[in-house]
Parts: sequence; C-alpha cells; structure tokens
Amino acid sequence: MKAVFYKAIKDLRRRRVQAAVVFVTALLAVGTGTMALTLIAQTRDPYKTAFDAQKGSHLQVVFDGQVADPSAIASTPAMVGASASGGPYRSTPLQFRLNGHKYSMTTIGRDAPGGAVQQLRITAGHWPANDGEIALTRSFADVNHISLGDKVKVISVSQEPLLTVTAEVADVDEGSADVSNQNSWVLSSAISGLASAGSSSYLMNYRFAKDPSNTELQADITTIRAALPAGSITSSTNYIAIRTVFNITNQITTGLLLAFSVVALLATVAIVASLVTGIVISAYREIGIMKALGFTPLQVDLVFVLQILIPVAAGSLIGVAIGTAGAQPLVASSWQALQLAYQPAYSVGIDAVVLFGALLVVTVAAFVPAFRAGRLRAAEVIARASAPRGKSGRWLRRLGAQLRLPRALVLGSGDAFARPTRAIMTAMTIFIAAATVTLALGVPRSFSTIISASTSGLNADVVVHRTAAISDADATNAINSAGRPARVVGELDQSVAVPGIGDPVLARLFRGNPAQLGFLLYSGRWYSAPGEVVAPRALMQDAHLRLGDHFTVTVAGKPLSLVLVGDALDATGGGHSLLMDLATVQAIEPDAAPDTYLIALQSGSSIDAYISRVAAAQPDLLDVSKASVGTITITQTVSNVLLALAALMIVIAIAGIFNTLLLNSRERVRDTATLKAIGMSPRQVMLMVAASAAPLAIIAGALAVPAGIGLDRALFVILGTAAGGNDIPAAVYEVLPLWELLAVPAAAVIVAVAAALIPGRWAARTNVVTALHAE
Amino acid sequence: MSEFVQLDSVTKVYQGGITGALNGVSLTIEEGEFAVIMGPSGSGKSTLLNLVAGLDRPSSGTVTVGKTQIDKLSEAGLARFRRDHVGLVFQFFYLLPNLTALENILLPAQLKGRNATSRAHEVMGRLGIMEVAERYPNRLSGGQQQRVAIARALINEPELLLADEPTGALDTQSGVHVMELFAQLHRDGQTIVFVTHDPRLAQRYATRLITVTDGKIVDDVTVAKEVA
Repeated sequence: MKAVFYKAIKDLRRRRVQAAVVFVTALLAVGTGTMALTLIAQTRDPYKTAFDAQKGSHLQVVFDGQVADPSAIASTPAMVGASASGGPYRSTPLQFRLNGHKYSMTTIGRDAPGGAVQQLRITAGHWPANDGEIALTRSFADVNHISLGDKVKVISVSQEPLLTVTAEVADVDEGSADVSNQNSWVLSSAISGLASAGSSSYLMNYRFAKDPSNTELQADITTIRAALPAGSITSSTNYIAIRTVFNITNQITTGLLLAFSVVALLATVAIVASLVTGIVISAYREIGIMKALGFTPLQVDLVFVLQILIPVAAGSLIGVAIGTAGAQPLVASSWQALQLAYQPAYSVGIDAVVLFGALLVVTVAAFVPAFRAGRLRAAEVIARASAPRGKSGRWLRRLGAQLRLPRALVLGSGDAFARPTRAIMTAMTIFIAAATVTLALGVPRSFSTIISASTSGLNADVVVHRTAAISDADATNAINSAGRPARVVGELDQSVAVPGIGDPVLARLFRGNPAQLGFLLYSGRWYSAPGEVVAPRALMQDAHLRLGDHFTVTVAGKPLSLVLVGDALDATGGGHSLLMDLATVQAIEPDAAPDTYLIALQSGSSIDAYISRVAAAQPDLLDVSKASVGTITITQTVSNVLLALAALMIVIAIAGIFNTLLLNSRERVRDTATLKAIGMSPRQVMLMVAASAAPLAIIAGALAVPAGIGLDRALFVILGTAAGGNDIPAAVYEVLPLWELLAVPAAAVIVAVAAALIPGRWAARTNVVTALHAE
Repeated sequence: MSEFVQLDSVTKVYQGGITGALNGVSLTIEEGEFAVIMGPSGSGKSTLLNLVAGLDRPSSGTVTVGKTQIDKLSEAGLARFRRDHVGLVFQFFYLLPNLTALENILLPAQLKGRNATSRAHEVMGRLGIMEVAERYPNRLSGGQQQRVAIARALINEPELLLADEPTGALDTQSGVHVMELFAQLHRDGQTIVFVTHDPRLAQRYATRLITVTDGKIVDDVTVAKEVA
C-alpha cells in the first residue's frame, strides 16, 4: 500500500490545479450542506421554547367593545375549555408621533406583564407605573430606533397626551415589527384617555392544555361567536399563524440551502467523475507501466481515487467548519427574533454525517472511472499511449464551416462536444449557475410584486392614512387640493364573518376602482356593482366558493348578500380577505368611510413635493407616505441567501468549465502542437479553447432562463400554499425584462469564456517540440 | 541558386541533459536543394530541423529563412512564418483525428483566412488521394495519411518543405511511394530539408547530404543526380 500512497501523493503534486478545483467545489458543497442541516437542527425550536416559557396564547380574540359585554367575554374561556386565559383587556388603535415620524399600533390596557397567559418578558426598562407611561415591543423599538425615555405624542385623540416609553418587552403572541402590526401596553386606567369615540375593543387570550389544531381553533371561534351578540368578534389570530411567520424564513432558507447543497454535491460528483476520467485517459501509458511493475487492478484504482479523495477531504473538513460558522448568524437571528439569548449551536453528529457522506459519494464518483483504469491491459495501453479521442461535435464544426466562421472558432466549437459526457456535465454546472442567477434576480422582484399588489397596489405613488379626528370629506379635500392626482382610491378595512371560516375575514372596501391601481386578477372580473365581490383563492378554497356563487356574510351583526365575480391575488390576512365596493357595505352601514387613500399621481409629478403639500395641510391628522414596498426580513433573508447561492454556483460552474477545458487541452496537446506547427497563432489557440466553452454556455444559459423562471414560480407556489393556498399569477414570476433574460445566457458565455482564459493560455504556450516528441 | 536557409553559429542547449543539442552549427541551404540531414538517434538532426521550422529557438546564433531572421520573431510571428513560408511533414503524420482528409489539408489555408478548396483538389490529385478526401484519418492507411499530411504541408505553397523522418512509421512500399512524391516535388522546384537516419533513402534522393553527430555537422556533401 505504501507504493499506492506514494504514487497518489506524487500524482497529486503533479495535478495541483485540478486538485484545487476539486478542493474548492467540495468545500462549497459541504459548507452549504452543513449550513442547511445545522439550521434545520438548531432553529426548529426557538418559537416553541419561547411559547412555552412565556405561556403564549393559543388563541387571541378581539371583541367589539360597543357590542360585547366584558363580563360575557370573560366567560368565554370556560365555553371552549381553555386551561388558562388572560383578559379581557381593553384596547384601542393608537397613533403617535416621535421625531417627525408617525406610528400606528394597538395599545392594550394591562396592569402587569405576567399572568397565566401571554407573559410579556421585559427586556429593558420597567412596566408602566402611571398613566403617562407606555411599554413597546422590543422589535418595534429596534425597527424604529425608539429608546427608553423617549416621549411620544399621541395624535389619535384630540388631547394629544405625551407618553414616556418605560419598557421594551418580548411578546411571543405577535410577529416581528417588520411584518406585523404591533401592540403596546399602558395601565388599564390610562386606556380611556387614549381611546377615541367608538374605537374601543377587548382582547381575550386563551391557552389550552395541549396544542390545538387549526380546525379545533376554528371550532372554538364558532362557539364563542354563537354565545355572544352578533358582531361581537372583530378579529382573531392563533399561534399557528404566528409560528408560521417566525418559522417561514428558516423554512425557506433551509429548503433553499438543502436543495442547493445537493446540487453543489452533484456538481462536485460530476467534476470528480469527469476529472478522474480525464486523468485515466491522459495516463494510459502510465497505467500500463504501473501494471507492468506489478500494481494490482485494485491498487491502480486506489492511486486514482486517493489523489482525488485527499483534496476532497481537505475541502470537506474546511467546508464543515465554514458551514457551521456560516449558519450561526441565521441561528442567532432566529432566536433574537423572539428576544431569546443566542448561544452558538452546532452538532458534531451532523458535521460527521455531512463529512463522511460527502466523502462516500465522492469516493464512489471517483471509483467508477478509476475502476476502468485498473482493468486496462498493460501491453495494449503502453503501445497505444493515449485513449482514442472523442469524435463528437462534427456537426457543429460543419455548421461553423458553412457559416464561414474563423477556423479557430469552428475547431473550438466542435471540441465542445468531443466528449459528450464531459460536455453534458459541464453544461449542467453552467445551467445550474445560470438558473440560480435567474432565480436570484427574480425572487426579490416577485416579493415586491406580491407585497405591493397586496397592499397599496402596483401603480400607487402615495398612501394617506387619516385619523378619526379628521373626516373623510376633509381628508379628500386635502388630498385633492395638494395637487391633481390621476386616481384616488379610498379604502376601509372591516371584519366580516364568512360562512365556513372561523376567523373574522378582512373586508377591503374600496371607493373608486382598485383594478386601476394594479391589483392582480387571476380569473373572473373586477366587481362593477354593489353586492359584487372579489376574493383570493385561499378564501375561496376554505369557504368552498366558486366564481358566480352567491353567499351571505355578516358585517357588524348584519347580513350582507354578495356574489363572487373575481379571483385576485391578496395575501393580507393570510389570503382570507374580500375586496368589494365601499357602497356594498354602505347599504347597511351608511357612515362607513375610507380611512386610507391610495393615490396615483399624474405622470411627471413630484411625489415628494405632493407628500409635503398633503402633510403640511394636515400635519397631525393625516399620515402621508410614499407607496414604496419596504424591505422585510423574510424577503431580504431569502434574497440574500439566493444571491449567496448564485455566487456559489457561479464559482462551481467556473470550476467545472475550467476543469473540462484543462482536461480537453491536456488531452489535445498533440493536436494543439500540430496546429501550432502548421501556423496557428497563440491568439488563435486561445480563441479555439474559449470557443470550446461558448457553445455549452449558450445552450445551458438558454435553457437555464426558463428553468430559473420556473423555479421562481415553484418557490412562490410553495409560499402561496403555506400562506393559505393562494395561487400565483404570472405577473408575480414573470418579472424580468427581456434584456435581463437575454443578459443571463450572455453572462454565462462571458463567464465561460473568462474561465477558458487560463487553459487557453496554457494551450497557446504549448511547446510544439516537447508535445510532439512526447508521442 | 540563392541562399535560402542560413544557420550561423547556432547552439542549442537543453536543460536536464536531454539529447539532441547543437553545438555551434553553421549551415547554408540553397533554394531548390533536396537537403537530407542524417545522423544517429540523439545526434541533433531533428533539433536542426525544428530550428529551421521556427518550432524551437536557438540558445545562441542566428537562423535566417528567406530574408527573415526567425530567432528574433515573437510566438505569433513564428506562427505566421510557418503558415506562410514553411510546410511541415512529421513521422507520425499528426493529422487531426476529428477532421476529414480534406479538412486537414485545408487547415493551414483557413488559418490564413484563405479559401483554398481548388488548390486542395489540385494537390490531392497530384498526390493521388482524391478518393479519400471525405475520410477521417482512422479510415486511412499509413501511406495515405502521410500523403494527406504532405498535401497539408503544400496547401499554402511554401517556399520550404521540411520533413522529419516521414517514412519512419510506414511500411517499405508506402515509404517508397512517399519518397517518390518528395522527389517529384523537388523536380518541380521545391526546396526540401529532410531528416532521416536511413542512409539508403538519403543516397537515393538527396542532392545534398549533411551528417550530424553529437550536435555538430561532421560531413556535408553535394550529390550529383542524373537528370531524369
């Protein structure tokens, strides 16, 4: 065996560049795999840990204070068999201003942070001790850079009291501030002074002995609704929805990392198999000599396998370390999102599984071509010196000749397919990289499309929120006086009860035509008359509705007949929403008026100037902002992970191309020397080598673009399903302009040609005399 | 006749003790000569040919072909020189296996950006290989492969034809046919420098016999030929 090791080490030294290629790809594949598995193992539990520790609510229900009696609300936990409960806590919408910014949230009257349910963990400061103090979530304080001691001016009531921020708390019953509306807390004695007329609600928290299912929770809501006066329940949420919000980033991230680590490992396998095949092909005479000297077939196999395994093992070891370290920021963010202390997390078992799994896979990949080497006949390979050369690719050469391309280009393009298996493996690595790049380009824009289409509409420029202290007429007057908007669509959100859906459904009531603002419709049409309604697919599925169906909902305790005419993308409320004309509800609630205005300006108008004019008209009573889609953690994390994976895949593709061209160049050294002998210049040699990479890149790049778009669609179908069964319209994943679609394969060609430069340079420097005399 | 190839005090030293070095060789070859360089293995005869072809550079001394001092040329300049002025024929043919005979022959012209199909047909007709034009090298006999290689060397109408043991890999009969081709080319006015270690071939076809031993020219004689 000593001879085998000695020969393998010597060969490894001779093939340093190829060893480096294998080292890098193994490092990347193992690093990604370790990161994915570490994340899966270490981030599954933060929500459950926090939920148990803080006795989170399985169900939270908000009751209309005008309809439901607090004592009746207090009796509901017993009706549904809750093991513990909190509340009813009186709550009200609150708007305040600090440092020129306005903030909206719900504030809850509560005298202590503890209790049997929804324990609020104070992370900084102290619980409010008097009516002039308020507690905020730490997430909200972090996102908006609010500190303890800051004084906020409440602008949703005419007295405009000042409240001092005295506590930052961790609340396990709400999502983080970048994705969810936030709660705040004041003493119960302070709430009356903060509630505007008719805006009072009660929050009730329920906790059960064991984690209930979604169906059980829906049944509980139905029980509560039946026991209280019609219209008592304003909204509800449960721990499953909140858990999904916390876990979805990790689920998507780990899913992507796992998928790409498998792909990266496959790419490594392809490169290793191709490399060993190439080494065997170029070492025919050497194999003959080894066998003549007494190496057994197995020993010959081992020489080839070992010289690959050594760099792979080194790359894998470093990859495990890098992957474990790389997972830590995501593990940390997972814990910190719940205001839990982060502790470095790793698993020796997982690291060992990844390491030995990768080594096993690569050993098999190397052994298959090496096996062939061990079985070659000594006399035959010594006599033949080199393996028969591949002859595929003639068709491409013929085509190139007919097109009268320069001869170096024609020869190179034909060489691309001289070894079909190697060409396919190389094309696969380019394909994967280009598809990942397409995906990484598309996903952030798909997210933006969904978010903007679900909120302000794609074509809105400005969003105005009015407080209850200003009337719709005055707000509309301020909006129209500040400029000449092209369109103003008013919106009022109201809870309605839909048959078959336990939780209250968000009714989005529009004045004006929201279709003009770019909301995305899958099928049917937009409503055109009172009584007509458009719904997202998730609601249609859960309420068993189809286009054309007539159904009756309950608004503030009153029945309202509707007909479903369209099916639109809307992720608000997890896809449980109804879009309809404000006039539909005004038939039973004549005072209903918009509190939000989605405004599209005339083309060429200055958005900032318009915002300034509206804000100046009503500085305290209107909240004016640009209708931009803010970055949220989920989309940002997924986009960043995809960008990193795209970079990783590009590196692997470059390694694959480099490896293939190096093998091709070395195999064809005699042909290159011949070409140089008959007058091919160094530049033409480089062009020929580069041209052998280009056709693979063109084909792989062209196929990768639709594949990338398909992956984008698949990702959002998965997300849509996770978000309640929303389907995804083409406008979400067909987000890349034509020039970018063309740029991806063009970039693939440029990268492939760039990767060909070093092998091309080596080929151009081939010493004719040495190469031909070596034969 | 005028001087066409001139080597002046050429020395070639190989690192690592490789044989075939030259030691202060000076040599002039006239236009229209059929110069045969002879010598035992490792004597330096192939090195001499490689220097004239611009495939290798001397360690010292100058090599001039036509009016070009080729040891001063860049790699690209040498490539252009070979393409425009020299035809090379090797012992092992060195045809590109994935090109047909015709494609192999056309290659040097195509590297110049020239369409030489009619010239290729003319040369192939002259060498008797017209019927194998569309065949790949692995479908050709050794003699046919060498004739294709000679056609490739002639496609750009080089002033100088260099051949390194062109019959070394052929059977006797094929070797004779190939040598007859070289003789005919010489009769047509082609300048030829030919390396061989076979004294019978040298005696039969050369107009000048140069013998190299241990990197030095030890004999240089002009051979009188009967006019056919």
